[in-house]
Amino acid sequence: MTPRLPLRLLRARLGDEDAEAVAGDLLERWEADRVRRGAVRAGLTLWIETIAAVLLLPRRRRDSLRGDSRMRSFAADLRHAARLLRRAPGFAVVAVATIALAIASSTVAVGVADPLLFRPLPYPDPERVVTVWERDRDGGPSNVGWQTYHDLSAGARALEYAAALGDWQPTVTGRGDAERVDGQRVSWSYFRVLGARPALGRDFRPDEDTPATRNVVILSHGLWARRFGRDPAIVGGTVSLDGRPYAVAGVMPADFDNVPGPRAQIWRVLGYDETLPQACRTCRHLRMLARLRADATREGAEAELARVSALLARDHPKDYPAVGVRVVGLAEKATERVRPILYAVLGAVALVLLLAVSNLASLQLARALRRETEFSVRAALGAGPGRIAQQLAAEGLLVSLLGGAAGLALAAALLPALVARLPEGLPRVSAMRLDVRAGVLALLLTLAAGLLAGLAPLAGSMRVLSFEALRGGTRVAGPRRRLARAALVVAEVALALVLLVGAGLLGRTLLRLSAVDVGFEPSHLLTMEVQATGPAYETDAQVFANHDRLLAAVRAVRGVEDAGLASQLPLAGNIDRYGVHAEDKPLANPELAPSGDRYVVSADFLRAMRITLVRGRGFSAAEAADSVPRVVLVSASLARRIWPGEDAIGKRIRVGGPDGPARTVVGVVGDVRHTGLDEAVSQQLYFPERQWRYAESQMALVVRTRGDPAALAPAVRAAVRSVDPSQPVIRLTTMERLIAATLAQRTLALVLFGAFAAVALVMAAAGIYGVLSGAVAERAPEIGLRMALGATPAATLRRVLGDGGRLAVAGVLAGAGGALAVGRLLRGLLYGVEPADVTILSAAAALLLAIAAAACLVPALRAARTDPMRALRGE
Amino acid sequence: MLGELEQLVLLAALRVGPDAYAVTIAEALDAHAGRTVLIATVHRTLARLEEKGLVASRMGEPTPQRGGRRKRHYAVTPAGRREVAESLEAVRALARGLRPGWEAS
Repeated sequence: MTPRLPLRLLRARLGDEDAEAVAGDLLERWEADRVRRGAVRAGLTLWIETIAAVLLLPRRRRDSLRGDSRMRSFAADLRHAARLLRRAPGFAVVAVATIALAIASSTVAVGVADPLLFRPLPYPDPERVVTVWERDRDGGPSNVGWQTYHDLSAGARALEYAAALGDWQPTVTGRGDAERVDGQRVSWSYFRVLGARPALGRDFRPDEDTPATRNVVILSHGLWARRFGRDPAIVGGTVSLDGRPYAVAGVMPADFDNVPGPRAQIWRVLGYDETLPQACRTCRHLRMLARLRADATREGAEAELARVSALLARDHPKDYPAVGVRVVGLAEKATERVRPILYAVLGAVALVLLLAVSNLASLQLARALRRETEFSVRAALGAGPGRIAQQLAAEGLLVSLLGGAAGLALAAALLPALVARLPEGLPRVSAMRLDVRAGVLALLLTLAAGLLAGLAPLAGSMRVLSFEALRGGTRVAGPRRRLARAALVVAEVALALVLLVGAGLLGRTLLRLSAVDVGFEPSHLLTMEVQATGPAYETDAQVFANHDRLLAAVRAVRGVEDAGLASQLPLAGNIDRYGVHAEDKPLANPELAPSGDRYVVSADFLRAMRITLVRGRGFSAAEAADSVPRVVLVSASLARRIWPGEDAIGKRIRVGGPDGPARTVVGVVGDVRHTGLDEAVSQQLYFPERQWRYAESQMALVVRTRGDPAALAPAVRAAVRSVDPSQPVIRLTTMERLIAATLAQRTLALVLFGAFAAVALVMAAAGIYGVLSGAVAERAPEIGLRMALGATPAATLRRVLGDGGRLAVAGVLAGAGGALAVGRLLRGLLYGVEPADVTILSAAAALLLAIAAAACLVPALRAARTDPMRALRGE
Repeated sequence: MLGELEQLVLLAALRVGPDAYAVTIAEALDAHAGRTVLIATVHRTLARLEEKGLVASRMGEPTPQRGGRRKRHYAVTPAGRREVAESLEAVRALARGLRPGWEAS
């Protein structure tokens, strides 16, 4: 039983040979002691000896003495820097806060952007996972129809696995309240395409992927834990979805990240029914995903699939408006919408970082000037240039490390808050955290900022300290020092301008978007989705009766003015578009028919939404209650598109293919913005719900209220439950919030740019103030002399203001190019404003100049009040 | 001029001879001078003497004892012998002529 710890201690602290010899000696002594004096005293002596050896003996022998002393002197420099900081708390707070803000913002931005922009997807060979799209009329990517998916995946050798997927929102019943969850219907091969496997149970089997055997699901880990209490017995058992039993095949692992559908919590095998009408080639409602073979390339797969697609277009000329297929990497596709804003934010963060470094450098320059005597003394006492650089570096590093630590702490608090506010449906959210990569980056940035700022007084064009000059007791020439600080201030103003213009462009965009006429009255509207599924709603009549009861119950709620149901809502992210075939305008290729958003509605939906009636009439009570004669309302732009210069009323159209039933247009209503505030006006079609081919089990309920709509939410929810407690109410929100959500990305970008711009303004103002007040103090004798020789206070004021003004103007000119670049970078986020908007640029410049003038005023007044006699006497 | 401990350690090393290393030197100090010193102190003194060139050290061969750890053996250099002789001579010269009871005669 050798005592390990003391020996290990010696090995850790001493050089190899020393440790061996000393440890051997101590062990020998200990063994002799144990015999002579007993184990306890021997042990005590051993410990005393060990501690003495660690304290007395040099840590390493000769060889590393040089490095050791360098380290020791650096530690001394750090201590010296700490003392200096304590003596100048104002400088310390400003400098540390500057770095902390910059490090916090860059760490947070990188934490969010890293998984989306720079990291591979969390699947094996992620670059082989691709999305496959048909081409629409304009050559843009479009979803695929079932037949096309089938033919493409059968005909392509480059694909190892292919999968089709669609959305699915089942209601989970049994075990607690009815709850609707987001899910996906997927081909059996879906998880093989991704390269993922269930953690519990098994994957889907090929033989399950048929209409008769498709009631099989795999649960996400989250749903399994939340809803089923992590019960392992659920695998192999059944769950009740939409009132029917589904076998549970497996549970995905907790760390499985479902990039193709970030919200999905449950997967059902697709089991596509080819006898259904939506199995047609033009019914493009499925997404296609594939895993390339190891030897295949994206381009090769695209070319091969294009050949298959050309054959299909030849065989079915009426079904394909364009030939060709697009193959896009899943990673690229999943992040395409957020990429512009992420790059914009990273750019802004880089600017803030630059600004922080230049501000810190500017503070260091000022301090270095004040401490010139100290450096001269050190140089005279024999400190070489390296020694002085080392001390300056230590000072810069101390400040930046303190700031970096504070910034990292701030980032740890801010990142989760920001992630919670990200637009919904973003992939890879679980990977957005402070990890080693973000930490290392923050550390590197911190070190770089500290060194750059610390050594600035010695470096290149900013050199205000020169070793030769210090030793010789002379100074670096005055103009040179002023130039150095002025250059930094100009850079700060320029960066502030860039950020201000970015914030201005985004702000103008949001103003323009919130002024967009959406085509209905969004205030005082409560919206939600309701669903009637299960054995109680087998027939269409049951569903319609339920809708009637629902509307009656909601209208009875105090404070409710009106209520209506629709198969989809504007601006809620739904896409449900049908081709329109006018009887009097037959087309050779029906695929080229215009299309409109399909709204299947209860009779009072348009009134509840306050959608205006342009011509004709709304639905009559008879039409709302019966299926004949079939009528339809069209929106104004659709009417103009099909019947330019003609009256649409009385015209007959068919939807869903030229063979559908004919419907008479009885009214023309105003257009609504359906896809987004920034999208072109789209065209709509409204059908009474009893006149559609089938009853919609899932509807959006809109409730117009007299007062605050949010306040009525509980009462409305209770009214819906009173009709049928198993009916889940989801996505309950106000229409105004729904619209705000469509602006979430831009709002976020504006908030970030605005915050960064504010920081930049403060830094630039502080920079100008610092330079001018320093210059005024330094040139007090000169100013005094001028005033003694007859310069008036007003002239002195003008001179100092002019100095500051020149700096600000130079900064604005230098920043103008950057401002144009930021406009181009933000282009994808802008609406109703040009990337190079002169008004915004001039407003930002004016704001900066005004703030610069305010920052100049204090030192200028101080200069104007200079008492010539005192200044000349050198007081 | 040697410190007192340096002088004692040098003398002990000479007395132990070829087998001089920290433990035997400490034992010699204990046995002949009645001084109990820490092994670490002996090591530090030997290191200082080596820096002055008064002793030379070499690592020994591993033996089955002390967990196979090698010893650092020390030998007094000619300079060391000269130094210790001079130092002892200085002590003697100072003491010469003092009576028993350490009073000047």
